[in-house]
Amino acid sequence: MDHDEEEEEEDEADFYSGGDSDSDHLDLAGEPDSDVSDDARHQQNYSVLGEEDILQRQEDDIIRVSNVLSISKVSAGILLRHYNWNVSKVHDEWFANEEKVRGAVGLLEELLVEFPNDNEITCGICFESYPCDRIYGAACGHLFCQACWAGFMSTAIIDGPGCLMLRCPDPSCTAAVGQDMIDKLASDEDKKKYNRYFIRSYIEDNKKTKWCPAPGCDYAIEFIVGSGYYDVICRCSHSFCWNCTEEAHRPVDCDTVARWTLKNSAESENMNWILANSKPCPKCKRPIEKNQGCMHITCTPPCKYEFCWLCLGPWSVHGERTGGFYACNRYETAKQDGVFNEAEKRRETAKNSLERYTHYYERWATNQSSRQKALADLQQMQTVHLEKLSDIQCQPESQLKFIIDAWQQIAECRRVLKWTYAYGFYIPEQEHAKRLFFEYLQGEAESGLERLHQCAEKELQRYLTATALSKEFNEFRTKLAGLTSVTRNYFENLVRALENGLSDVSSRSACSRSGSSRSLRGKGSSSRGERSKVTFAALRSIGRSSSINDSGHWSCRHCTFANNNSVTVCQICRQRQ
Amino acid sequence: MQTSRARLFKEYKEVQREKGADPDIQLVCDDSNIFKWTALIKGPSDTPFEGGVFQLAFAIPEQYPLQPPQVRFLTKIFHPNVHFKTGEICLDILKNAWSPAWTLQSVCRAIIALMAHPEPDSPLNCDSGNLLRSGDIRGYQSMARMYTRLAAMPKKG
Repeated sequence: MDHDEEEEEEDEADFYSGGDSDSDHLDLAGEPDSDVSDDARHQQNYSVLGEEDILQRQEDDIIRVSNVLSISKVSAGILLRHYNWNVSKVHDEWFANEEKVRGAVGLLEELLVEFPNDNEITCGICFESYPCDRIYGAACGHLFCQACWAGFMSTAIIDGPGCLMLRCPDPSCTAAVGQDMIDKLASDEDKKKYNRYFIRSYIEDNKKTKWCPAPGCDYAIEFIVGSGYYDVICRCSHSFCWNCTEEAHRPVDCDTVARWTLKNSAESENMNWILANSKPCPKCKRPIEKNQGCMHITCTPPCKYEFCWLCLGPWSVHGERTGGFYACNRYETAKQDGVFNEAEKRRETAKNSLERYTHYYERWATNQSSRQKALADLQQMQTVHLEKLSDIQCQPESQLKFIIDAWQQIAECRRVLKWTYAYGFYIPEQEHAKRLFFEYLQGEAESGLERLHQCAEKELQRYLTATALSKEFNEFRTKLAGLTSVTRNYFENLVRALENGLSDVSSRSACSRSGSSRSLRGKGSSSRGERSKVTFAALRSIGRSSSINDSGHWSCRHCTFANNNSVTVCQICRQRQ
Repeated sequence: MQTSRARLFKEYKEVQREKGADPDIQLVCDDSNIFKWTALIKGPSDTPFEGGVFQLAFAIPEQYPLQPPQVRFLTKIFHPNVHFKTGEICLDILKNAWSPAWTLQSVCRAIIALMAHPEPDSPLNCDSGNLLRSGDIRGYQSMARMYTRLAAMPKKG
């Protein structure tokens, strides 16, 4: 996702500051300004290295050490590898006690045994005699023939990366055998393997670099340790957590991911039957496989029943009651609701933990597959549809970038949303206010995303299938671009809030304004007074953006959509300005 | 295969020439197979193995000397680093610390050294290792001496 920085900052300003018509707006603990700088740092705390870069850096480090210590490049390579490619550590140790370092690494200053003057010299391994020009030794002077050296090296190289620490074959000798010896005596195939290990060591033993874990990807990531978020995006477009090398998982931390992954693998047997890829249509009971991205499912004719894929409830009741027009995350609510089918009822009544886990896992997995689908759609869009659309609507492809942006945002949102389910699963049962707050935020996130998804998938379809230029296309552009940016901001805020552990809920208690959120008033009564009010106050500042001060638009207070000033009713949720 | 055979033949000739040079070790090559050897070693003095003669069996891999030979005790021995039932030996130079410059003769010397200096922290024979680790030197020595008498000394009378 490469939105340029300027645009980023502009957005930040738009959605954080100024023109706040909500006079009762309450700040979050994290001030907007600090968040902006946080984000700027985030952009630069890692770099992607290709093979060329890696070789270059390795060579640079070796030359640096070689120059400073006045030793050969081969010796510098051996030293650096011993100290995990940490240049300053090599310098420190060397100048503190050169003799000790030489001993530990096996860099000898003089021969241990004199070179014999005989014409015929016996190889120390095969005990055959060789003329003195056909017998070789490392810095120690222990001599072996070419065939025995090659065999010795080959055995070590087959054994693995330990061959980089090869020592003289003599049992009592610690002299290091470096790359120069390998180049001179090993077979071509072994040399290649050795060089491979040498490069790999530079990435794998170095504390600042890691390989991208994507299959077949040869890039490595250099990360400035201690510089903030671990999520990185490789040049191959795989995004992963640098710390644990699992896929990117903000807002949840690595421990939670590890626990969740373990749980998934442990319970996968139980999940299989629940999560067979289809669900029956709630009305006609025909099995339906979900192959389009959003949660709004329409059964095939003649049934044509419209329902929500997650709760299997009729689509028509998805509104205020389910916590937002497109949302369906209300597990607690779902348990009390009576309109679901058999399988859902069983989930509602059963109290054991598997049931609870199933709920979260199912939504986690659904978002995962939706993300895969979105990525596939994005691919399809880039390779096929964009050109077609460009022809139909007479727009250069460069001006259709907003569609790509939208799909990239959808994929990113699916990823975040997916992990919020792992997050939700681990919120302690007794932290009721936190859970409520979390579910509200998640619900808003889902409805925002569904809105965007709907727009990017279904509405776009109209223009793709149109035979001639459509007048409304520019309005569509404004709408989709607006939705993309609103959704991006919402998700960024959400991620930060969750990473803070929703600290507003537990830490703030004095400030309260009751009844400020219509959609939650009903549920608020179920939790205890003070805390639930805090919840409302805090969520307003995340859930609601202030109006846009950019001329020509106004932001809907209900759904945050950026409407044209020419209209007074929100084009998304039909609320008045 | 050819390399290992040539090398073993060198060792064989060396053993023939140096016969009796080291009175503690007697290496014998199998009559029909140069990859099978046996050795008789004397228990080192000032140890519970003193006076015993222990037989070792060598099975030599085709990659020898790049790979170490497999050695085990044929004579029963009570020692923390020797498996009581199979005679398998836990010794670093027979595993990852092997060097192709070692010979069968030097392996025998290393095993004699191991008999004198057991490593109770990586035991194959836990009972023996536990005796040493708990400081029961007398217990260890009397057990080891008993088995030396039973298995490694000629039967009296």
